[in-house]
Amino acid sequence: MIKLILKKLSITFIAISFTVISSVASAEITITWPSIWVGKDSKTTVIGELIDEFNAANAGSIKVVVEEQTDYDIYAQKLTAQIATGELPDIMTVGAQLLDVLHRSGKAMDLAPHINSDPHWNNVYPENALQSAMTDGVLSALPYELFVTPVTYNKKILKEAGYDEFPDNYDDFFKMCEAITANGKVCTSQMTGKNGWTSMLWYSQALASAGGPDIYEKGLDHPAYVKAFEVMEKMYQYTTSDAIGADAGVSGGHFLNERTAVFMNGPWFIARYTSDGIPGLHENIGVAAAPMLMGGEGSPGGYVGGRQSSLAAGKQSDPAKEEAIVKFLKWLTIPENVARLSYSSGAMFIVNADLPNDMDRLFIEMKQGISDAPYVAPIFQNGIGSLAVASEFPQALSALALGDVTPEGAVEMLQDAE
Amino acid sequence: MKIKKDEVGWLLLFIAPTLILFTLFFILPILFLLASSFTNWDGIDAEFVGFENYIKLFNKKSFVRAITNNLYWCITAALITVPLGLIIALLLSHRSRGWKVFRTVLFVPQVVSSAAIAMLWAAVFNAEYGLLNFILDNIGLSDYKNHNWLGNVRTANAALIGFSLCYVGYFMVIMLAKTASISEDYYDAAKIDGASQIQKDFYITAPLIKSTFFLCIILAVIFNLRQFEYVYLMTAGGPANKTQVLVVYIWNELTVQRLGRGSAAGVIMIALGAMLLLLLRRILKSETYN
Repeated sequence: MIKLILKKLSITFIAISFTVISSVASAEITITWPSIWVGKDSKTTVIGELIDEFNAANAGSIKVVVEEQTDYDIYAQKLTAQIATGELPDIMTVGAQLLDVLHRSGKAMDLAPHINSDPHWNNVYPENALQSAMTDGVLSALPYELFVTPVTYNKKILKEAGYDEFPDNYDDFFKMCEAITANGKVCTSQMTGKNGWTSMLWYSQALASAGGPDIYEKGLDHPAYVKAFEVMEKMYQYTTSDAIGADAGVSGGHFLNERTAVFMNGPWFIARYTSDGIPGLHENIGVAAAPMLMGGEGSPGGYVGGRQSSLAAGKQSDPAKEEAIVKFLKWLTIPENVARLSYSSGAMFIVNADLPNDMDRLFIEMKQGISDAPYVAPIFQNGIGSLAVASEFPQALSALALGDVTPEGAVEMLQDAE
Repeated sequence: MKIKKDEVGWLLLFIAPTLILFTLFFILPILFLLASSFTNWDGIDAEFVGFENYIKLFNKKSFVRAITNNLYWCITAALITVPLGLIIALLLSHRSRGWKVFRTVLFVPQVVSSAAIAMLWAAVFNAEYGLLNFILDNIGLSDYKNHNWLGNVRTANAALIGFSLCYVGYFMVIMLAKTASISEDYYDAAKIDGASQIQKDFYITAPLIKSTFFLCIILAVIFNLRQFEYVYLMTAGGPANKTQVLVVYIWNELTVQRLGRGSAAGVIMIALGAMLLLLLRRILKSETYN
């Protein structure tokens, strides 16, 4: 019996020793990346390919492992908690609203020294793009994706309602909505679930139109905030019955299935018009600047948008791992790789990349829109400078849409959250 | 029972692991929660702010609504869910044909992921393609064709709390198990006296499972005081904060990095829970523990 126990113990000991020795000998660095570019996201395929190629090229020394995070809001909330606890992942995709917190925490890897030690990033980024992303000489996150959110509309539905062109002011816009409703279709896709994304983009457009691109510097007392809510109040008269409480999937789904005529989202949604839209939808889509509020301080053709996702890394104590992370971040910012990402998804990136000539028509139109735009104002969620106010927006909007509060009351809800 | 002096050492030794774990994972976090509730901690910096967090919380309509909604959840559970569980338990205790099937079906929600159930019900309540509106439309209630149950201030809370009745099976099983321990002698004696089935249920079964019934009420109140996943997944506290509950409120405070205020809300929640339990104990007297 004792012999048998000793034998089993010896085998276990040998097995454990072998595992330890082999893991030490291989010394492969594993980089974990909780990524939002998975699942239905339009960047999923190419990001997956880029990771596979990187892992193959660095087989045995570095391995990037993706932790799939399919819900953007939950991901941001998880990151917030991780920043607070100091348990940051190796690599993370950070939205603009978390950049300040990330920097203040001091838990992110400072990428500034790596910019000075290797010309790669200085070569691929536009002039001053990296410098403007620094705070006190520290680069906590690498600016990566940028976006604009023009209006996308279904030309077929508009034509059936008697419109060949998208209206350039809200008076005409709501007349168009009336005509579309009379035709048995729904005018706009809206939502108040999660962060109220698509409705928040409409609100941002109306806000910049009413108060100008610098509206966020004027404070919540500025009448533009009320005016923009007046627009939203009317907008909800021409939306689907499930808009209150709906998430981005529901809101986008209506447009993809031609139930709604007008939709607002970023360029990353372009690929989904083809992949998830009903047949022929992509050909019917037009791009336009959002309508203007008559007498507002904004300018015709003004866009909202800005810096979307940035790439950041958790502070590392192991220099080898830090190098490995930097190597992977450089891989993601190689112009050819960025061009592949942009081509497949329609997303826009800050890195200078030579894009193919056959880029999607909608992408080209959006890019042209940016070039022609007198300004690109920040979206409400990023510009307002308060996570609490941004988080209260969907509740204020749903209260407004349900007639529970007036536009002034909705602004008061935001002020109360501040 | 008197403890001998030489037994004290052994007693301490035996309770030490539990005591250490209880202190580490319960007492210390509560003390930390209490301390941080008096600061403006944002996850990075913290300054002492006195009672400011508490004052701000009680001045916020959405927080007061969260407390009120939690009380609705608790009252519904105590007055509807648990009594319904009792009625079903009494019916199933007759062991009529097919009773095991009913017991299993009613218990199924307990073994399914609450997130999955929440998503399922969100789809059932959906205004555009939801099953509920489809059924209502087909039975002639076309006014509800596109009614947004979870997105309407008048129906959101009712829809949420109503669907929570699915969890009646949990309490039913506890009370049903208790009925199995009742001696058959009582029923035989009642039979000889000519008691009907309803009389047996009301005069024998119900009084003998009273303590379990009260225990279920306490459990239901505790569960509903910490209600989170259904509200978070189905309405996130909306529309217009109308379905807000305490834990979702705390979660929202944490995600906007107001950890100090979130801690204060947590302290209030603990105090509220303690008060409710004391109140219930007083109302139910010592029946629960008999």
